[in-house]
Amino acid sequence: MRNKMPEVRDQKSAMGSPDLSVEFAGIKLKNPVLTASGTFGYGEEYAEFVDLNKLGGVIVKGISLKPLSGNPPPRIWETPSGMLNAIGLENPGVDVFLRNKLPFLRQFDTKVIVNIFGYTVEEYAALAERLDDAEGIAGLEVNISCPNVKAGGMVFGTDPATTHELLTAVRSRTKLPIFAKLSPNVTDVTAFARVARDAGCDGLSLINTLLGMAIDVRTGRPRLANCTGGLSGPAIRPVAVRMVWQTAKCVPLPIIGMGGIVTAEDALEFIIAGASAVAVGTANFLNPRATLDVLSGIEEFLALRGVKRLDDLKGTVNTT
Amino acid sequence: MGLNRQHAAEIISHSFIGRGYYRLVLRAPDAARSALPGQFVMLRVSQYLDPFLARPLGIYSIPSKSSIEIVYRVAGRGTSLLTQMEPGSSLAMLGPLGRGFPAVEPGATPVLVAGGSGFPPLHFFASRLRRGGLSTPLFIGARDRAGLPPQPVLASFRKYGAKISMATEDGSAGVKCMVTSILDDYLSKSGHAASSVLYACGPRAMLAVVSRVARDRSIRCFVSMEERMACGVGACMGCSVRSGTGGFKRICTEGPVFEAGELDWSS
Repeated sequence: MRNKMPEVRDQKSAMGSPDLSVEFAGIKLKNPVLTASGTFGYGEEYAEFVDLNKLGGVIVKGISLKPLSGNPPPRIWETPSGMLNAIGLENPGVDVFLRNKLPFLRQFDTKVIVNIFGYTVEEYAALAERLDDAEGIAGLEVNISCPNVKAGGMVFGTDPATTHELLTAVRSRTKLPIFAKLSPNVTDVTAFARVARDAGCDGLSLINTLLGMAIDVRTGRPRLANCTGGLSGPAIRPVAVRMVWQTAKCVPLPIIGMGGIVTAEDALEFIIAGASAVAVGTANFLNPRATLDVLSGIEEFLALRGVKRLDDLKGTVNTT
Repeated sequence: MGLNRQHAAEIISHSFIGRGYYRLVLRAPDAARSALPGQFVMLRVSQYLDPFLARPLGIYSIPSKSSIEIVYRVAGRGTSLLTQMEPGSSLAMLGPLGRGFPAVEPGATPVLVAGGSGFPPLHFFASRLRRGGLSTPLFIGARDRAGLPPQPVLASFRKYGAKISMATEDGSAGVKCMVTSILDDYLSKSGHAASSVLYACGPRAMLAVVSRVARDRSIRCFVSMEERMACGVGACMGCSVRSGTGGFKRICTEGPVFEAGELDWSS
């Protein structure tokens, strides 16, 4: 049974309400549950279902300097316990974001982290500068899994030198805390975590989607018009937990853990592996209230176990 | 908004109605009160994580003040699992979602065109038409007899005043041609085109021809679109179709009903 709770160790402390607040990279979150970029729009789409004031934070859908129309359909394909997507980073651009999307989010008592991307180092840096003094932004999450146009389309986040150049440039143009959202499509994710630390990042987001593909065997055609896409959902959770664990052990940066979180137990795996906070992603599609379910489940778990602060659980994986 | 759109909807009845279709009645008072023809719901077919995504299904009718009716065809593993859900159990449901069919303007004759399994939203639409005894033309197309809507569906359409014409590609029922041919024949008769407004749902290829027929005859045409969908609320951007003015539109929130001219039919 996935949802079975561990034994109650101390009935008395089960009565007290645990401290769910977490603080890292200069950001204080009321609780550790955020929304993963690209799965929660700009908050508005889900505000009818979720009281955004209850969330630790919202990581908004990726923003670029100019609007992008995205990839042709089909853009998604369901896979075992997950899905492939090749949306193509469709977004209205930073101007529309600042004018129409951010003011909506500012109404709520939750932290807003803006996911940014570009196709050149300069685009990323200019975007960071543009957002630097905007009111109501707690931090930036840098999506480094984009093709680098000037390097023949090679993905920034799979080459340490370009990752360093990119993150250093972003760092130099903003005072906001920055989180590098690392690609799992590398052999050693910790090498990129070190690069992010050396470039002055304040934290890490782990993990982005895994590159995948599905084919219609009757026609021989890929299921996605883009041929390949990013795999998300519970199918990738073990990979994500492993990467958080490996990274937390050797790089002293706070980690926002994500990848296939559906339940509180899933989220707790990431915390125990060493994450400071978690982001719920694809699960929002199945259940718009997934974030709140995860949050109440974490609280219940801590209360039952007599854990006073969530931080006490962080990185406590027992490998003996 | 006020009305709740996330429900645990109890199954009131669930039965096979022929030709691969099932009829599912769900207790959902808020949805029953607010749903408009052309809107859809996202239904989870199992409480487990495989199949992973909810299924978008068009609303077939509102049988009572507290329930909605879905008619679906078994198309894969998800809908196959759905057939096993028994009355008394509940399904996670979002909805009603999307933008439905616009109301028929006074003096206009609604002309319905259904291809394959695309009839449910048109059935809901037909059930709300108040035509004062006038019949509503309904053109139904399928590959063969087995692909036509089941008899209870045809009977229900007739009850709501539909005058049904059928076409099959192999000629096993109705006229042997594409449904768009019998539609075009109808519109070419004197007087018909002038007052007609088309409402169509079916395969994209059929909708492309219907929209071309409408454009050539300068008549209004509304199409209900389908695409793989993940969230149903405009967040995932998965269900996009090409807009006629460049870029894309999300079927879940900007549709599923579009005026045909809003979309790009070239690809």
